[in-house]
Amino acid sequence: MQAPDDLDSADVPWPIQDTPPFVIETRGLRKTYFGKVAVPVLHDINLCVRAGEFVAVMGQSGSGKSTLLNILGALDVPTGGTVLINGVDISRLEDNALADLRSAGIGFIFQFHHLLDEYTCLENALLPLIIRYGSVTEAECVRVVHLLERVGLGHRLESHPEAMSGGENQRCAIVRALANAPRIVLADEPTGNLDSRSGQEVFALMREMNRDMGVAFVMVTHDDRLAQEADRILLIEDGHLRALPKGTRRLD
Amino acid sequence: MSSGQSYLRHSLWSPLLPRILRFESQLALRHLRSGGRQTWLTISAVAAGVIIVVFITALIFGLQRRWITILTDALPHVTIRIVDPKPTPLADTLGQTFGAVSSRIEQRAPQEKNLENWAQVLEVVQALPNVRVVAPVVRGQAFASKGGNPYGVSVIGAEPDVQDQVTPVTKNLVAGHYRGLDSEEIVIDYELARDLNVSTGDRIRLTSSTGAVEVFTIAGIYSQGQGRGSAYITLRTAQSLFGLGTAVNAILVKVVNIFAADEVAARIQALLPYEARSWIQEFPQFLSSLQMQTASAYLISAFSLAASAFAIASILIVSVLQKSKQIGILKSMGARRSQILRAFILEGFGIALVGSSVGAAVGMAIVYLLSLIEQPVTRVGQPPEQLFPVAILPWYIALAMLAAISATVLAAWLPARRAARLNPVDVIR
Repeated sequence: MQAPDDLDSADVPWPIQDTPPFVIETRGLRKTYFGKVAVPVLHDINLCVRAGEFVAVMGQSGSGKSTLLNILGALDVPTGGTVLINGVDISRLEDNALADLRSAGIGFIFQFHHLLDEYTCLENALLPLIIRYGSVTEAECVRVVHLLERVGLGHRLESHPEAMSGGENQRCAIVRALANAPRIVLADEPTGNLDSRSGQEVFALMREMNRDMGVAFVMVTHDDRLAQEADRILLIEDGHLRALPKGTRRLD
Repeated sequence: MSSGQSYLRHSLWSPLLPRILRFESQLALRHLRSGGRQTWLTISAVAAGVIIVVFITALIFGLQRRWITILTDALPHVTIRIVDPKPTPLADTLGQTFGAVSSRIEQRAPQEKNLENWAQVLEVVQALPNVRVVAPVVRGQAFASKGGNPYGVSVIGAEPDVQDQVTPVTKNLVAGHYRGLDSEEIVIDYELARDLNVSTGDRIRLTSSTGAVEVFTIAGIYSQGQGRGSAYITLRTAQSLFGLGTAVNAILVKVVNIFAADEVAARIQALLPYEARSWIQEFPQFLSSLQMQTASAYLISAFSLAASAFAIASILIVSVLQKSKQIGILKSMGARRSQILRAFILEGFGIALVGSSVGAAVGMAIVYLLSLIEQPVTRVGQPPEQLFPVAILPWYIALAMLAAISATVLAAWLPARRAARLNPVDVIR
């Protein structure tokens, strides 16, 4: 088993003062799906993500990227090993505690925006707060509106998702992921469903939020170009994780 | 931030709601609003179930009420008579020691079947609980004639005021009067009046079964709507017409609770040496047919509720499963399983509440409209009657609403419970 520090050889853009130093820390993480036959998906994953880091995760389809992301997001629990999210071991948590952990500390961005059609753009962005507190204070609302304005949706506050473009919806989804001021945002191919220009825009916004708010991002992507702009690139191959030095092209 | 403030002002998360339900109730409301046609379809399914129950119970129980009224209004609830003494074979008599005897039962000659001490009987019966009216009467058969052919007629001699409470006559009068009947006067049935071709003021001759003949002036003609009714004369006149002296031959009892008539009859029979039969004993099939009707009303209601429950369930299951992805998203945003369940239960409850209220209102409206339809053929001299005698039974309506609400909430809860258990990972992708 590798020591966690060995993985952090990639350069970190600025010193981290937050405690605990790692927002995500896995040791010997394994995941096996038990269907008719047991399918091991992840083997002995050791991964540490510092607060404020931007990590890109690459890998072929079926390599286990999404499974890893779901476990890191407390949406799924590991079969073995420990997973510490903000210092909390999620394998011991009950359903409700996992939900609260997601609510307080993790934001999600999916390949599809998955905004709720029943709500307006602003309401969608506020939803994590509503779920958590039942209501929004004016200060929170103002903060979220600011964020929406920053991603260029100031004129779209009252629009419903079906009336907005794919890029706009994905930008709204980014704000939604940040609404609860989480320390971690997990993005599962956030640009996968967008044309390259919108994809670039969305990625730039994510990077901007990451820098300005000190939120750690773990982004699964197929796009080599975008991955190169992350702080660190990790590659999953057949359920094994390894660091990919920046500048190297992924071997397909 | 002006837009933020304006948004907060118009936001639906009302501070009046308990914090724990604000997100859930709002999500439920949004689902209902965005559901559009599906929402209305579910609401209609709930409403249909309630309408059917309201309608069927109103119709069947209304019909029943009408039947019971028709029967028990016109009938004495308990009839007290002299018991016909039963002959005993000689062989059964104790202390028989001599010779061979016949075991053949010979019917004795008819005995005197009059109640001489009816005043005392009246006192005893009147003191019993549940007894409303006690009427001493003389009942007999006679021939009525006006010159031509005689017609057989049942004659009842009673005090008009009391008799009206046992078998209403005044209420059914087509012409003339019954109250304050004179000893020389008679009230006859419309059918008999037509057969004899007489009207009020005419005189007819009555020949009693004992052979006595008297002439009466027709004081009133009544119609009870079906069959041929009796002829009514005063008690005194009947006593002399049938040769009873001061006795009567039956005492008729009207009770308050007609379904407890059996108990009253049993009490009378225990207290007095006379036969007392309730209307239930006289018409046993009537009661059992009533019970069959009630049972079938319950069955039909239960089946139609079950049918609409299945309709509601199938619509709701589809609509909840359509939202599986959304449930996954909500979970990824930190929504607890219980929050999601509450939202869907609230949604089901909203549908159920609106649906059952609409159903109850529409059902009652239909029942009311039905009650306005009148029978094309009506009784002589009476106002037209309802074609559908209906009864609005608030208790049954409330019960039907409750059943529909529980079924709907259950039908929303079950699929939501399954969907909320799903791993968000599996549904989001």
